[in-house]
Amino acid sequence: MEAMMLLRGLYAIWLREITRATRDRAQLIGGVSRPLIWLLILGVGLNPYFRGEIYGEVRFVIPYTYLQFLFPAVIVLNIMYTSIQFAVSVIWDREFGFLREILVSPMPRPLILLGKVLGGSTIATIHGGLVLILARFADVTLSLQQMFTALGLMFVLAFGLTSFGVILAARVRSFEGFGVFSNTIILPLYFTSSSVFPLDPALTRTQMVTAYPEWLVFLVQVNPITYAVDALRGVIIGFNQFPPTYGLAVIFGMAAVFFVVALIDFSRS
Amino acid sequence: MNETAITVHDVTAHYGSKKALDQVNLTVPTGAHFALLGPNGAGKTTLVNILCTLRRPDGGTAVVAGADVIARPTQARRSIGVVFQDSSLDDRLTAWENLEFHGLVYGMAAKPRRAMISTVLELVELGDWTHEIVRTFSGGMRRRLEIARALLHRPKILFLDEPTVGLDAQTRQRIWQYLDRLRRESGLTVLTTTHYIEEVENADIVCIIDHGRIIAEAPPEQLKKDHGIRWLHVVPQDATAAEAIVQRFPQAQRLSGTGLALPAGDDDRTDAFLAEFRDRLSEIRFHPPTLESVFLSLTGRELRDRADGQRDADRAAGRRGGRR
Ligand SMILES: Nc1ncnc2c1ncn2[C@@H]1O[C@H](COP(=O)(O)OP(=O)(O)OP(=O)(O)O)[C@@H](O)[C@H]1O
Ligand SMILES: [Mg+2]
Repeated sequence: MEAMMLLRGLYAIWLREITRATRDRAQLIGGVSRPLIWLLILGVGLNPYFRGEIYGEVRFVIPYTYLQFLFPAVIVLNIMYTSIQFAVSVIWDREFGFLREILVSPMPRPLILLGKVLGGSTIATIHGGLVLILARFADVTLSLQQMFTALGLMFVLAFGLTSFGVILAARVRSFEGFGVFSNTIILPLYFTSSSVFPLDPALTRTQMVTAYPEWLVFLVQVNPITYAVDALRGVIIGFNQFPPTYGLAVIFGMAAVFFVVALIDFSRS
Repeated sequence: MNETAITVHDVTAHYGSKKALDQVNLTVPTGAHFALLGPNGAGKTTLVNILCTLRRPDGGTAVVAGADVIARPTQARRSIGVVFQDSSLDDRLTAWENLEFHGLVYGMAAKPRRAMISTVLELVELGDWTHEIVRTFSGGMRRRLEIARALLHRPKILFLDEPTVGLDAQTRQRIWQYLDRLRRESGLTVLTTTHYIEEVENADIVCIIDHGRIIAEAPPEQLKKDHGIRWLHVVPQDATAAEAIVQRFPQAQRLSGTGLALPAGDDDRTDAFLAEFRDRLSEIRFHPPTLESVFLSLTGRELRDRADGQRDADRAAGRRGGRR
């Protein structure tokens, strides 16, 4: 009985996020246009330069087209934008008073946060899933099983990043502040996640450092998004630059750690 | 059933170094209509926030519907309905979606939820607006929807923080009739805050609060009897006359505008005053004891005397549930 009541509340909080998202035209347009721009313009434009032949001796051995290589990264990009943008929903609740309606209800704090984060991750996963519609165009074929594994990973990634958005929201006072903030976070993380260029596994470490400056390699290696992109690439096109367990560990680790931090933040307020 | 709905004992609250509540004590019997009357900034909203568990008191204890708000907030939350001073609706959802959300969060099953949603929508006459987005609602409609929402889960105690702002007389009357019925039939306790004297005339108990302190608590008639005196309101012809009056009669209170008020008790000071100043006054009027005059004699101030800017700033802060 008690559990049933709590489930209803959880469902209500989740459903509210979904309803609000479907009424937010701007966010939907962003979710659709972003993958189109990245895949159609950047992907198609750089596709011819990606094959090893043009580099002569040092051959890149990645047996994929640039579009295929980029495809999983664009999914991650879409998830990142939507998840981190979720902070706006949290700030909105706080600034426009709706938070009080939730806080005076008998719902326990952790469930309130869980409902919100689940709502945000669902929306982000859907936005990531929009990219999958372009699979045929990027020359990526997915079995049903690959598709579900990918969606599962996407959801866990979205869960972690949405929690991260909630953590940011607790530290940002205004909407304006947040807009600047999110752009200075998302794009650098994306570019240094080996999303748009590979760290060629065929090269030894010395060769890699010759090809790329050491600081860049360092940035790529410490960026958790690198491993998330890598895991998704492993599932979608069967190419990994790191041991596949790294990616899984990072994705699940982020989800757990960020949610716990968000929970601590939320219970304190 | 418990005889007291709310017990507040020595509750203190501050914002930084500023004291908002100073050792507040009060008791609200079950089924009563309890009105908290005080000027802007008196601490009414702060007290309501503490009672509905949004804010922890910095000292003292409060028990709401048998549950201590600090030790067992969840249990207290189950029994209360709250209408905040500022809107806490989601204006991107429809009226129905807002109510559905509320019903679900309070764990109501589908059938009673749907039934109650139509009942409360009917009560506030928003039936035709059920599926409209709240953003398109007028201020009064939002207010009505919030009152409907607070009643949806059949709370035992209803907190209304300045509920009637923006409501027309008919709606106000309708809602009070409904609340009175609930009080009679199911022992609903209603706590309202207001700075409109007219609103508390019908309350069972009026509690006057100023600068975070309770300065009187009694039924309205009792208050008038104990603290009410006749007041003489005068408008001096010019500023020099006003100055002279204040010089001679230091007990005169300045009213908003150019008026002055003097206590007009049974002594002959009133006669002395009139004899001296009758030619320098443009208007004189006697006021029988009202709650307004009770307030004036208790606090030395009129009720509505604070600048609006201050109030708006406070309200913006209050909206965040006490967070800055
Ligand atoms: N978030 C806040 N930060 C700092 N001070 C606050 C805050 N909220 C209220 N105060 C101060 O606490 C005092 C009590 O405020 P409160 O909102 O409880 O008054 P009120 O009686 O509800 O007034 P009103 O009739 O304007 O709603 C005021 O002096 C106000 O300036
Ligand atoms: Mg107030």
